[in-house]
Amino acid sequence: MHSPELLKGTLQTIVLKVLKDHGKMYGYEITQRVKELSSGHILLTEGALYPALHKLEADGLLNTEVVSIGKRIRKYYTLTSPGKVQAKERVAEFVDFIQTMGSVLQVKLN
Amino acid sequence: MAELTKDHIDYIIKDLHYRGIVLEGFEDEIIDHVCAGVEEAMGSGKKFIDAYEATLRSFGNTDGLLETQKKVIQVRTKTTSMFKNYFLLALRNHIRNKFYTTINVAGLAVGIASCIVIMLFVKHELGYDNFNDKADRIYRVNTALHFGSVQKRLALGGAQLNDLFRQNYPEIESTARLWDWGPRYVRRPEHNERVQEKMVWADSTLFAVFTLPLVEGDARTALKEPNTIAISQTMAAKYFPEGNAVGKSLLIDDNVNHRVTAVFKDLPENSHFHFDMFRSIVELPESKNMSLIGGGWMNIYLLLREGADPQQLEAKFPAFIEKYVGPQLADALQGDFNMEKFKSQGNSWSYWLTPLRDIHLHSDLEGEFEANGNITYVYLFSAIALFILIVACINFMNLSTARSASRAREVGIRKVMGSLRTHLVRQFLTESFVLTFISFVLALAIVWLSLPVFNGLALKTLSVPFDQPSFYLALVAAIVTVGFLAGLYPSFFLASFKPVNVLKGKLALGTKSGIVRSSLVVFQFVISIFLIVGTIAIQKQLHYVQHKKIGFQKDQVIIVHRAGFLKNHIQAFKDELLQNTSITAGTITGYLPVTGTWRNANTYWPEGKIPTHEDVKDMVSMEGWFVDNDYVKTLGMTIKQGRDFSREFPSDSTEAIVLNESAVEKFELGPNPLGKKLSSFTANRPDGSPDPNSIKSWTVIGVVEDFHFANMRENIAPLALFLQRSDGYVAFRFKSKSTQAVLDKIETLWKKLAPENAFEYSFLDEDYGKMYDTEKRLASIFAVFAGLAIVIACLGLFALAAFTAEQRTKEIGIRKTLGASVNSIVFLLSREYGKLVLIAFALSTPVAWYGVQWWIQGYSYRATIGLSVYMLAGGIALVIALLTIGYQCVRAAMMNPAKSLRSE
Repeated sequence: MHSPELLKGTLQTIVLKVLKDHGKMYGYEITQRVKELSSGHILLTEGALYPALHKLEADGLLNTEVVSIGKRIRKYYTLTSPGKVQAKERVAEFVDFIQTMGSVLQVKLN
Repeated sequence: MAELTKDHIDYIIKDLHYRGIVLEGFEDEIIDHVCAGVEEAMGSGKKFIDAYEATLRSFGNTDGLLETQKKVIQVRTKTTSMFKNYFLLALRNHIRNKFYTTINVAGLAVGIASCIVIMLFVKHELGYDNFNDKADRIYRVNTALHFGSVQKRLALGGAQLNDLFRQNYPEIESTARLWDWGPRYVRRPEHNERVQEKMVWADSTLFAVFTLPLVEGDARTALKEPNTIAISQTMAAKYFPEGNAVGKSLLIDDNVNHRVTAVFKDLPENSHFHFDMFRSIVELPESKNMSLIGGGWMNIYLLLREGADPQQLEAKFPAFIEKYVGPQLADALQGDFNMEKFKSQGNSWSYWLTPLRDIHLHSDLEGEFEANGNITYVYLFSAIALFILIVACINFMNLSTARSASRAREVGIRKVMGSLRTHLVRQFLTESFVLTFISFVLALAIVWLSLPVFNGLALKTLSVPFDQPSFYLALVAAIVTVGFLAGLYPSFFLASFKPVNVLKGKLALGTKSGIVRSSLVVFQFVISIFLIVGTIAIQKQLHYVQHKKIGFQKDQVIIVHRAGFLKNHIQAFKDELLQNTSITAGTITGYLPVTGTWRNANTYWPEGKIPTHEDVKDMVSMEGWFVDNDYVKTLGMTIKQGRDFSREFPSDSTEAIVLNESAVEKFELGPNPLGKKLSSFTANRPDGSPDPNSIKSWTVIGVVEDFHFANMRENIAPLALFLQRSDGYVAFRFKSKSTQAVLDKIETLWKKLAPENAFEYSFLDEDYGKMYDTEKRLASIFAVFAGLAIVIACLGLFALAAFTAEQRTKEIGIRKTLGASVNSIVFLLSREYGKLVLIAFALSTPVAWYGVQWWIQGYSYRATIGLSVYMLAGGIALVIALLTIGYQCVRAAMMNPAKSLRSE
């Protein structure tokens, strides 16, 4: 498990990237997907995920779609076109950041 | 993966609610998330309740959940797309409450539609003559004269003014005269059929003063020469369908050929005159060599130079009158006339100016071209429009605040979660705007559909100006205003709830707390009752004037028009028809006691009084009507004293007059007027002033009972009947049941005697009714809008009552189980609203009384609008209100208490 402190700045990037790769997803699905990808090392807490989703939606990076399934209502998120651009930029920015961190911390990244 | 059962999901929803997850758009999402988590946990073999606990733990239990909700709220509050959010919320709220939304939208839409219609009407009325480019510099000259008991306010001036003004006042750029001689017969010289057209004599400067775009011809030269004529596009198409009207001829009154020199675009509807033809006044002998006090009274328009001050010009008129009018008066009156004496006897002569744009709404003088509008009605209708809109807005406010109880919890949670008061105000305002917007769209549709009906009522041709950008601007402005008006109070009211109280469930605010709400309902009904009183009062006055004893019998009289066409067959026409047993009497005359027929006012005085300045007070302006022997009999008038004209006295036709009672009084002839004599001039000098050598006297042989021959706004004027031929109409009194047969007979004979002219007729009672068309229009418009106001007010009341009943379901259930009867519960529920209507009645009566008194002062003959009218109006309002809420009350009272108590 990684420390939530480390995750804090990358949450939006993760959400954007996951959505970019998988298209339409709902909140729970995103947590599960991230858990799977990180082999359980990264657990998105709901308390962080939902505010982030709403923030991204408000910023116009995400679209939502509401589907009624039985008694429940499921809200799907997709990237808008500015969202797609952002996803790309943020990932690139993050790779850049890791490389910089590599030099700062004097560790070799493969 | 295990599917959750319905019960499980219900459990989760309830539990999350209980834990305080209520945020729109967030709540559903969390429920789904939790469900998905639980499903997965159950998939790995856990029991439901354990799976649920585990999922919640991953959120951080209740605290974590609420923290997340709070964060989401904060995210939302901070971001720019809040508006979209508000908007969505508003929409959802409206959809969720279909009943109240429908009532709100319906009421508001009808209110706005009424308002738009009236505003279109007002705009139309205010825009009269604005199409003239120089409208702000054009003024009409009016004359007021007070001379003995002759008192006149004219929209006219003597023909000579035209030249004298131009010579004396350099600030006048141009003048234009219009002289209306009534409709004239027109035909092409090569055709036989002739038609009456609206025609007027005009100066060639007409086109320089007024903005009348020409389609053909040259504005500078048109009408410069005698016997030329400018015609409207419609006329050009009618008489010259082959095109190119200019240069062709029209024969007027069968004798003068006029050359068409110009074709102008039809005058817009909002012009104070609508002539189809202007004929050149140049060389018209009647317009020349006239004195200022004699003949040739015409409408004179001045075009002032840029920057000229009309008030300064008006200030110069007294000196002008001294210089020009004075000598002419002295000449006419002879003796040692001077202006000082003239004035010291209370006489006066004055000129003043009316700005062109004020003519339609502010001018009601003798000699206007058309019946003008009235600024009072513009104000009145604007007020009504505003009232209706306010009534509709009040509905919105009342329903919003009344339903506040059901939304109080939402407000409380939002506040606890960090919503600021401004956020809530914004959200509720958005709701009000969404609703207003929908109402406006609906209102436009209503306006579009109902405008033809209104046009029919008001005799206008209004249209919705969909093509004008300013219209849309006005709409947007209106939406904003109405949205704020309707939404502001409820917004602040709702937003000001204290979360502590609300969440403790301390809020009974919804049902009671209603001082503001009650006052608003009272206000609605004050307006409604006022409008009902207005409607009844106008109806009563209308009924009064139409059924008052009018001094003649208007029923069963047929009037044959254009009798002049019978020429010398006219007597034979009458005599032959009188052979018919269904026709009991007939008379040949141009003068009938309905407006639109001939009139002939002149100045008379008791014989022996010489009409010099010394005795001018004895001069009386009196109508002199030329009638035949059978006039009084045919029209069913009553001779009060003396006798009617008779064939036994041949001298009647030269020496006798029959006066009405009003004339006897005016001339102060005393209780026995018979045998007394009145004098008057019978001829004018060439300049139009009366010829002192032409004085003639008549002996009073009878007095006819006063009869109404003008609108009852006016007093019955002095009138004398002369036994003399005037051939405007032939009127017949006929027996009932034979109307069609009589008509056929008359028409057959007409066709025999005047084959080339169409037969036109009317009935006296219908013509009499037409004199009150304005009142009838006012009455029906008033009735329609009063009806609308009541409907909207009741719509609101209906919803309010429904809400109260809903709120008190439990109370009613308990009362019923304790033995209350249905009646007592209906009474309990309706009592509150009944009280409000009664208060409204008490408040509106004085206002309505004042309004009615003010309106009816305008009539010389008034119906009595007694207390009963006000009681009736109050009664109507009360009954309608009780019927409206009655349905809801009865429904609530009939409910099975077992059911209502079990609910929740």
